[in-house]
Amino acid sequence: MSAMGPDSLSFVVVMYVGAFGLLVIGAIGMVMSNHLFRMVLALVIAEAGANLLLVLSGWRDGALAPILGTHAADVPMVDPVPQVLVLTAIVIGVGVQALAVSVLLKIHRIYGTLDVRALRRHLELDICRDAGMAPEGSREAPAGERPLPPPIPVADALRTAATDQTGATS
Amino acid sequence: MTGLFSISQGHSVLPVVLPLLAAFLMQPLGRVARPLALLLGPATLALSAYLLIRLWLAYGDAPYALAIGGFAPPLGITFYVDRLALLFATAVPVLTLLFWSRGEDDADPLRRDAVMLLLAAAATGLALSGDLFNIYVFYELVAVASFGLVTLRATGAAYIATVRYLLLSALGSVLALVGIAIVYLQTGTLSLAQLAMLAPDALQNPLGLAPFALLLIGFGVKAELFPVNTWVPEVYATAPTRISALLAGLVSKLAVIVVVRLLVLAFDGTGATQLMLALGALGFVTGELAAWRARDLNRMLAYSSIGQLGLVFVGFSLGGTAGMLAGLALVLHHLIIKSALFALATRWRGALARLTGAARSAPVSAGLVVLFALSLIGVPPLPGFWAKLLLVLGLVELSTPLALGALALVLLGSAVEANYLFRLVVRLYARPDDASTPALPKPKLLDFGVASAAGVLLLAATVSVVPVSGWLRGVADQAADRAAYIDTVFPTTLVQSGAR
Repeated sequence: MSAMGPDSLSFVVVMYVGAFGLLVIGAIGMVMSNHLFRMVLALVIAEAGANLLLVLSGWRDGALAPILGTHAADVPMVDPVPQVLVLTAIVIGVGVQALAVSVLLKIHRIYGTLDVRALRRHLELDICRDAGMAPEGSREAPAGERPLPPPIPVADALRTAATDQTGATS
Repeated sequence: MTGLFSISQGHSVLPVVLPLLAAFLMQPLGRVARPLALLLGPATLALSAYLLIRLWLAYGDAPYALAIGGFAPPLGITFYVDRLALLFATAVPVLTLLFWSRGEDDADPLRRDAVMLLLAAAATGLALSGDLFNIYVFYELVAVASFGLVTLRATGAAYIATVRYLLLSALGSVLALVGIAIVYLQTGTLSLAQLAMLAPDALQNPLGLAPFALLLIGFGVKAELFPVNTWVPEVYATAPTRISALLAGLVSKLAVIVVVRLLVLAFDGTGATQLMLALGALGFVTGELAAWRARDLNRMLAYSSIGQLGLVFVGFSLGGTAGMLAGLALVLHHLIIKSALFALATRWRGALARLTGAARSAPVSAGLVVLFALSLIGVPPLPGFWAKLLLVLGLVELSTPLALGALALVLLGSAVEANYLFRLVVRLYARPDDASTPALPKPKLLDFGVASAAGVLLLAATVSVVPVSGWLRGVADQAADRAAYIDTVFPTTLVQSGAR
């Protein structure tokens, strides 16, 4: 990065600002959004920012794409390693996004909504029903815990066992 | 490939390659010979475990590095095999085999087996890999496999939990990727060994803290680190319990090991350890407080696992062999106990109120819960006590304001932990309310066996605490040795040190 003209310098600055800008927009979108599909879209934006940053990390001033045989051997090339990495990262990202969208379809089929607040309520209710308990704060389960019944004293337990036996025999 | 063949270092790739191969062969084989395909998964994992144990016996003394595909280290990918890597790589097939999912859901068994094998392969790779981007790829593979496994029960709740987990995990991956890009910008390499060589100049400064923080948060999603662990209770309450056991017991630990490797090799500045200490202590106390409020067993175990992993991060942040020893003791202790508790929860999942008086119908299981609870709290003769003692001593020795604050949080969290675990134990031995509570189903024989084996292991470690701690110190010594890592990957380091 020694001899860098003013044009290429401003180019690099713009690209870096763009990469971090995409990241920030994506991250804020994921945190602030209340709709699952918008969250997925925000994720796509954030991933684009990360991938751009990765490509930029191998950028050289005035260098060409690192493809063998397309230009003379003495022309400088950009660092090929980040380009390979970013290919992998893009493929992984697409796979994860496709998986996310397919799960979103299932959710929409079951609940008819993709609103995060509504789905969180559904989730809590479903977990409570699955666990066999009333949702927190409902009439059946007001806040706080009920005291447990005291353990059975040994003498009582023996006596009830004895009466059970005599009751059974008589 | 049966019988006693001679083992060589090259075989350490097979525990990653074989499950991957088997996962892809699963579907075609299922068309031809279905019973054979059903056996393929367990057989592959058993072979992996056997290979890793052989490797441990043959090469456990000194670490060695393996250049994948014959490409030399700084450009090619290396596998770095020391005792720490072998220990966790062996834990992967063994635990996956123990929690091999059967009968908890009605998904197609072949698909499920293939995803389980993907998880095992990627998790083994996570333990062995010595290249930052390779670690990232394995981490993503683990993530995708776990998304598939979490949805196995195919309920609406499971899908909601999965998509929230997926989005958080993907955001974490983006942050980790940014961290990797910054590391590459600053050093021009992603090989951990070369990073370790360049770190003193390039990374151990305030600018180096940024990539570490990004990588910590990114990999911390799987490791249930404090601010990025909101997925844990939802997923563990909706996934099949055995999958929860795998995620809590095994996958979280492998993410921790990755972070620890990065910390030891490249980011050993004070800022990084302080960040880990603070997040770990906050995670411990928030996890335990949330577990105190939980009303169902799965979420109680989930929050407790968040707390315990916070403690693990505090342990590793102490630095040096002492910190490594404390962290490893906590990791192994939690790995055994949480796996066993989730194994018991396969039949006991649901409201805690249902467990009232469960000790009558299942006395041995209830006894095991008491043992695990005592060890988690840290009651003296049990291994949990020694692990927590190492941690507390390390914090006292550090005695910076941050460490003392963390110590206060750790002790407070332990008190909360004791309170809710004792409440659980009292409930198990209480008189059942009335006839209205139906008798609890007993755990399946396999799950019960896993829990009993964990109990026996725990008691054995209690009796032989001196040899166990000596062995663990050996593992910790090797793992904390940065110079050995560099020398192993670059045998001619004197020539290479001035490379950049």
